[in-house]
Amino acid sequence: MIKRPDYPPIDTAIVMRTVLMALIPGIIAMTLFFGVGVLLNIITAILTALASEALCLGLRKRPINPRLTDLSAVLTGVLIALALPQAAPWWLVIAATASSVILGKHLYGGLGQNPVNPAMLGYALMLISAPVAMTTLWINPLTTPDIATAWNAYLGQASDAVSGATTLDLYKTEFRSLTAIEAARNPLFSQAHLGLIYGYEWVALAYLMGGLWLIYQRVITWHTPVGLLATLVVISAFFSFDPDTATPVWVHLIAGAGIFAAFFILTDPVSGATSPKGRLWFAIGVGILTYLIRTYGQYPDAIAFAVLLMNFAAPMIDHYTRPRIMGREASVKGPGGQS
Amino acid sequence: MAEYQIRHCERQLEGGIHPETYKDLSTSAPCVFIDDPKRLVFPIHFSGGGPGEPLVSIGDTVSQGTPIIKCQSGIIHVASRAGTVIDITDHAITHPSDDVSASIIIEPNGSKDQSYLHPLSWPFDADTLRDRAIEAGILGLGGAGFPSFKKWSDGTQTLIINAAECEPYLTADDTLMRIDTHSMIRGACMLSQTLDIKTIVIGIEDNKPEALAAIEAALQESRSDCFFDIVLLDTKYPSGSARQLVWLTLGIEVPTGSRSVESGVIVHNPGTLAALSRAIDGKPITDRIVTLTGEALTTQKNVIAPIGTPIRHLIEATKTNPASLTSITVGGPMMGYQVTDFEAGITKTTNCLLAREVEIAPESPCIRCGACATACPVRLQPQQMVSALKGGLLDRAIHEGLTDCIECAACNAVCPSHIPLAEWFRLGRFEAREKANEQRLAAEARERFEARNKRLERIAQEQEAKRVARKAKTADALNKARKAREESA
Repeated sequence: MIKRPDYPPIDTAIVMRTVLMALIPGIIAMTLFFGVGVLLNIITAILTALASEALCLGLRKRPINPRLTDLSAVLTGVLIALALPQAAPWWLVIAATASSVILGKHLYGGLGQNPVNPAMLGYALMLISAPVAMTTLWINPLTTPDIATAWNAYLGQASDAVSGATTLDLYKTEFRSLTAIEAARNPLFSQAHLGLIYGYEWVALAYLMGGLWLIYQRVITWHTPVGLLATLVVISAFFSFDPDTATPVWVHLIAGAGIFAAFFILTDPVSGATSPKGRLWFAIGVGILTYLIRTYGQYPDAIAFAVLLMNFAAPMIDHYTRPRIMGREASVKGPGGQS
Repeated sequence: MAEYQIRHCERQLEGGIHPETYKDLSTSAPCVFIDDPKRLVFPIHFSGGGPGEPLVSIGDTVSQGTPIIKCQSGIIHVASRAGTVIDITDHAITHPSDDVSASIIIEPNGSKDQSYLHPLSWPFDADTLRDRAIEAGILGLGGAGFPSFKKWSDGTQTLIINAAECEPYLTADDTLMRIDTHSMIRGACMLSQTLDIKTIVIGIEDNKPEALAAIEAALQESRSDCFFDIVLLDTKYPSGSARQLVWLTLGIEVPTGSRSVESGVIVHNPGTLAALSRAIDGKPITDRIVTLTGEALTTQKNVIAPIGTPIRHLIEATKTNPASLTSITVGGPMMGYQVTDFEAGITKTTNCLLAREVEIAPESPCIRCGACATACPVRLQPQQMVSALKGGLLDRAIHEGLTDCIECAACNAVCPSHIPLAEWFRLGRFEAREKANEQRLAAEARERFEARNKRLERIAQEQEAKRVARKAKTADALNKARKAREESA
């Protein structure tokens, strides 16, 4: 048995590589159920991210090589690609990635300086500026497209036969008039292998495996994923006292970006809270906002906006969640010295 | 036989790291005396115990044990070998500044002349022991060099022997405990009986079985009334930091801003206690054990060297060409500092000379991963402190707890961005001290100014009163004279 490491990898590039490796099961599951469009998006996003990073570093007259090889840009690219609709056209992927890297990161000073999660910033920008593409190009896992269909979607001619709204969206629109039992007859649920949601359940499981491995490698701590997922479960369970009108707990948990975000998006250390307790509160905040926006908002998923909003709260969370320093009576609260 | 128990520490050091220890490197060879060097260097202000003044002049002949420097704290440093004072001049010193400072240079003449103190006969009181520690130049030999007598307050309940030696590479304490066990135990017992301390705790990491066996054997022979509580600590850096050790062994958190003495605990290095034992017999500190180690040296070992021995001489003692090294680390890899001029002489706090080639990875931006916070044994948020310091916000860094930092550099060791956090904190803490000092001086100056104003005011009032009185007196006398004149006319 391999011994669990005492600390996270002692090199930024290895940290990034570890996160990328942890994404591999999720990427495989996504490709199996949503088609090769996923891979096309990832490749496009990586190339765009590297090009944008190099361009910005060049314009800012900073050394280019260390930042390209530390894989931080690659990771941003992969994350945004996985967050975008699987049948997204190439230009959407490029626009989302370029805005992630340029507007999300380099506008503020590059690696380590971004106040908000770059991938979520890119995602939210696309959702606002290209709402149709961002809401109607989600692949239905029951109709996994073949390579030709995926390629056509990539070129901008998505087939209505394979893509549509997200499952979360279905609950808000089409399922509104149905009872819980009628909704459960939908093949998405009735044909599920694990009894949850066809396809999504495997993807969620794959991300969960990768995420747990990251915890094992000490790249992330349990606070963030537990904070988000527990909040989503508790709130949605509380409001599902009437199963005919509520979106079920497992749909909240695995149909959207829940698991993926809990382990790979909220855990961006730069834009999140930094102390363990702070990370827990940050994730709980994202969970509450996600539920609210999913339930009362107009968007298919809400993680991106919830993360962006909580990013702004992160510095304040940090001021009130410092651990008690050894030898002190109590922990230090508040922002402190201003000089 | 002294009563003792051996127990495993029930507490776990929070944070901390498990660096490779490299201790076998220097413990596999026996500890040896080295030949006397051609010259000895004693920095006048940086020998430990604060700034000092020379007690000898150029041309003086000194014996081993002749007082040569008296420090502000009272501590006296002695010549470590008999010889002649050939110069008092600016000379390279063993100090983090890697700079030159006024030093006394002694050329040993090979004679065995000794000028020791008279042995103290038991029983003696605490003041006698304090005076003896001052005369014999007893300092914390673990590295900090704090004058030992200042720790000896009467309300002390526990003496902790800091035998953790948690820094990688260092084996000087380990060596001392193996070969000089009786002196250490005797010093501890004498100090405890003088201060009426009942319990002596020995905090030792579990990677020193030989030292532990030696301590056990010594305790079985000892006739002391003290109770020895030997606590085996998990090998984890920095369990040997004083505050961490006090907590690990006794469960006492020494409050921020106070010393462990104020919590009723004295922490001493094994070497300090052994030196104290010899001081009671009249012998001031003239030698110490130094670990010579690191992969860049041809051989590695512990040596007993006279205080003031130039680093060059010690490097040569390992059959290494000093020219092959550009700098040497004084102390361990975590908390040590670099010295580049090998003519500098070792001081009482030089426990290790470490020569190794370290590849310094290029620094990249902080990603706030928090690895440093996990490694911090004081539960600080180093990532927040360093961002404040880099932004020039000293006050904010202090608010985050900069002054609680113990400078152990565990954060450096785990930073994936290779940020020299501990260096930032050392600098920041220095600035914070300067600032506090400045504020104190300013407050004192204001007080002096106000007092002076009051004094001047009082003097002016008094003078005014006197003047008025004198005027009245003169007027009175004049009136009287006029009256007399009128009457006589």
